[in-house]
Amino acid sequence: MSPFWLSYLPVAIILSSLLPGLIIFTLKEQQVKLRISLNLLGVSVKLILVLIMWQAVKAGDIFYFSLPFLPGADLVLQGDALSLLFVVLSSVLWLATTIYAIGYLENSPLRSRFFGYFSLCVSATVGLALSGNLVSFLLFYELLTLATFPLVVHRGTPQSLAAGRRYLAYTLSGGLLLLTGVALLHSVVQSPQFIPGGYVSAVVSEHAMLLKLAFALMIGGLGVKAALLPLHGWLPQAMVAPAPVSALLHAVAVVKAGAFGIIRLVYDVFGVDSMQQLQLAEPLMLLAAATILYGSWRALAQQDIKRRLAYSTISQVSYITVGVAMLGPLAAVGGLVHLVHQGVMKITLFFCAGNYAETLGVHKIRELNGAGRRMPLTSAAFTLAALGMIGIPPSAGFISKWYLGLGAVATDNNLMLMVFVLSGLLNAGYFLPIVYRLWFLPQRGSWPQEQRLSASLETHWMLLLPMLFTALLIILMGLFASTGVSPLSWAQLIVEREFSYD
Amino acid sequence: MIDLSSWLWPGAGLGLVTELQQVWWYFTLSLWCVAGIFSLSFMAQSAHKGRYWLFFCLSFAGNMLLIAALDALSFYIGFSVMSLSAYGLVVDSGSKAARRAGRLYLQLAIIGELLLFAALVLRASAADGQYDWQSWQQVPLDHLTILLTILGLGLKAGFWPLHIWLPQAHPAAPAPASAVLSGAMIKAGILGLIVFLPSGDPQLQHWIPYMITLGFISAVFGVLASLVYRQPKVILAYSSVSQVGYIVVLVALAWTNHAAAVLPVLMAYAAHHAVAKGALFLYAGISGKQRLPAYWQLLFWGPALALMAVPFSGGAAIKTGLKSLLSSDLLPGGLNAEILTTLLSVGAILTALLFLHLAVALQRQQREYQHKADPGLALYWQGACVVLLLLILIWLPWYWQPMLQLSQYTLAWSKIWGLSWPLLAAVGIFMLGRWQQWRLPARYYDRNSPVLAWSLRLKRLYQPQRQWQAPVFKFNWRGIERACNRTATGSVVGFSALVILVLLVLITLWQYFA
Repeated sequence: MSPFWLSYLPVAIILSSLLPGLIIFTLKEQQVKLRISLNLLGVSVKLILVLIMWQAVKAGDIFYFSLPFLPGADLVLQGDALSLLFVVLSSVLWLATTIYAIGYLENSPLRSRFFGYFSLCVSATVGLALSGNLVSFLLFYELLTLATFPLVVHRGTPQSLAAGRRYLAYTLSGGLLLLTGVALLHSVVQSPQFIPGGYVSAVVSEHAMLLKLAFALMIGGLGVKAALLPLHGWLPQAMVAPAPVSALLHAVAVVKAGAFGIIRLVYDVFGVDSMQQLQLAEPLMLLAAATILYGSWRALAQQDIKRRLAYSTISQVSYITVGVAMLGPLAAVGGLVHLVHQGVMKITLFFCAGNYAETLGVHKIRELNGAGRRMPLTSAAFTLAALGMIGIPPSAGFISKWYLGLGAVATDNNLMLMVFVLSGLLNAGYFLPIVYRLWFLPQRGSWPQEQRLSASLETHWMLLLPMLFTALLIILMGLFASTGVSPLSWAQLIVEREFSYD
Repeated sequence: MIDLSSWLWPGAGLGLVTELQQVWWYFTLSLWCVAGIFSLSFMAQSAHKGRYWLFFCLSFAGNMLLIAALDALSFYIGFSVMSLSAYGLVVDSGSKAARRAGRLYLQLAIIGELLLFAALVLRASAADGQYDWQSWQQVPLDHLTILLTILGLGLKAGFWPLHIWLPQAHPAAPAPASAVLSGAMIKAGILGLIVFLPSGDPQLQHWIPYMITLGFISAVFGVLASLVYRQPKVILAYSSVSQVGYIVVLVALAWTNHAAAVLPVLMAYAAHHAVAKGALFLYAGISGKQRLPAYWQLLFWGPALALMAVPFSGGAAIKTGLKSLLSSDLLPGGLNAEILTTLLSVGAILTALLFLHLAVALQRQQREYQHKADPGLALYWQGACVVLLLLILIWLPWYWQPMLQLSQYTLAWSKIWGLSWPLLAAVGIFMLGRWQQWRLPARYYDRNSPVLAWSLRLKRLYQPQRQWQAPVFKFNWRGIERACNRTATGSVVGFSALVILVLLVLITLWQYFA
């Protein structure tokens, strides 16, 4: 590939959603067709560009683009295997979510604003995935916070404004912690490019305390978005946002940004060796394990569908952190692949929750009785995703749990295996009662707010199609995990590159 | 054999390679097919026909997949599909009892599933990323893996004390579903115990005496427990607990170095029990719906006598085979062959007692129907299914090679006497009991099992109404801000400047000394 492409493709990928987003802001509310075409154009261009990049990275090319920004820290965009994992995830799911959002927000006010910020949000996510050093990562991380806030408060109700305030308070303080951590680390070793094996190993013995402090600060900052234990409070609140936003927040953008940051921090800033020398992995792993169990446990008592899903996210995202913190190749595969698998499964669940809310007016779990008869496709997708979350084969969730389990045994962490089993039980405890209500209980009275959105289908086709697409992915990713195009094989490729630096 | 390893995972494949798989495949397939044909007529009036067939086909597919699996992951996929979709069969009637039983079933199925998952993970890491049975046979076991495997698969196999879901779920399900639950799905757990735990493994040898003990406890417990219930399907479920006990003994013997001698008997036992128990459950289903002509009782006595091991039946062949295994020298140390063979005779008496008790229960059930139903096509259709199983049952011991050898062995007079006296003793005891009116106080009969209460308690645990709430701290800085403003009346600017100055001085000092 020519050098021109190698340096400008990452920029083009970011711009492919940023430019349409900016244009959409200027559109009038009634220009529906133009807005939709712009959105879809952006998505398609981005997907094509990502595809090109994916092929090139698979062949071994490295994309690199830099711009002078701060002394000692340029604004760097780079496309390596790890960033591609996140870029592909976010662009594919962005496609699904865009279609879903168009259907979901049909005839609702302020759509230009919504889709504008929606595109900004994805641009920030992709930028974050492609950023090549800590400073540029920080920049996009903060941009993401700002771009998602208007989406969270989109409805403008007092409840969503309160949730937005809470969200902002948490994420801005998190950003501040991250900033402090990055600055501290910068003062010690500057901010070179992310590199497999990390770049702090030279100063480990000299500045052990400072490095530990910087790590703690950065984990604190990233942990807010990744919803690690004491910092998870914003996530269940933020579920008042419209369903496509929650889907994006939980599956792709915000939560994943935190988890992705942790992966970068552990593998490409500190590196496995330094992590072991500084003994930082163990506390992180225990914290994440506690989050897994706590999130699942709290999810049990939630009576609101989206709230239960939110607590489930808290728990599931920590699987990624655990996988990373175990510092073994197999565990890393499990954690990385769960980044994708959890995203696809959770977005399906949120699509389903949105469909129930939009079509039947159902928000509470106890109102779901008998919904399987009224909305069979949605309920089937929900069932599939829920079984995947529990880890029933042959779904995608089984693959990630399997590799996490193998990794736990390989790194002598039988305790973690127990955590996975226990969490699987808890997952079953809060998902299966919903599935039971959907299929086995008779409908109770009429639906709270039923709408006929389609003449022949159970709901609007734009709400149905993305959900079916992601539900299909769950099965395909699980069944064909060993083929060359699966997330699993990509995760293995990343791990090969990350663990073979020496 | 279909090799899927290029598509799925290393070692993935389907096929009937070993004789064990072939036997399991054929008896499971025939039982499912007969149950399916039976359901066509039996479930015709059901309210949720579509749902029933969906779950029936899913668990059928899962069951066949796990038998044909040549690697652990395919087995696990089939096992979970089968276990989870069988839930739909258990709760099919939608009655309160069925829903309760279903809940218990699902709770234990999920627990078993996850225990098995942990066992598989441990085993797969020991086998270094290989999943096919051949590689797994080479890898030595450790105690944790053995424990997890036995628990995970045992919850499906249903021997004591892991049987607790069985007497609840089997009676709740519709008759054809109970037939496959009891005949085929229990055997899936047994199959797993054989293929996951390779025979001759040194660590496994420590477990054999305990498993044999468990098997015998289960065999005796099942019968004793059945005597205090009067519902035919509950009695049949306990009979399964008891029969699985014997199969577990055989499984434990198959874990020794003499697997080759044990496996034929084990296969014969599993196939025979599957067909016979399937026929009995189907019959109990027919008999629970209408009054039958008296000669229909033949359909009951056929399989019942076979399980009671009357001479010349398949049961006789396998019981004799089991006895010769127990008295031979392949028993591991610490077990006394004489005690075991005595126990086996006691077991034969008890089994016979159970079926006599069942016959009475079926009679009682029949008497509740005043009018004779006019036997229509549906009834004959269902009867024909039972006859089909009965024919297989008669065919098995005399035409199927592994069993034929065992059967011929039972033709000597001494063997016939050895088989007959426990039956005669059982009939004697039973008559005596009827004559003397041996009864426990009424409160001991048909009791609700405490496991239902445990299941409910477990449900409350995972569906809590209230939970500890994280305390919410609300900071209202407004008051403090106002108070500050009040103290700093006059020159706010001057005050702020002072604060900044003090801070700057402090920072400089700190920098200086640090």
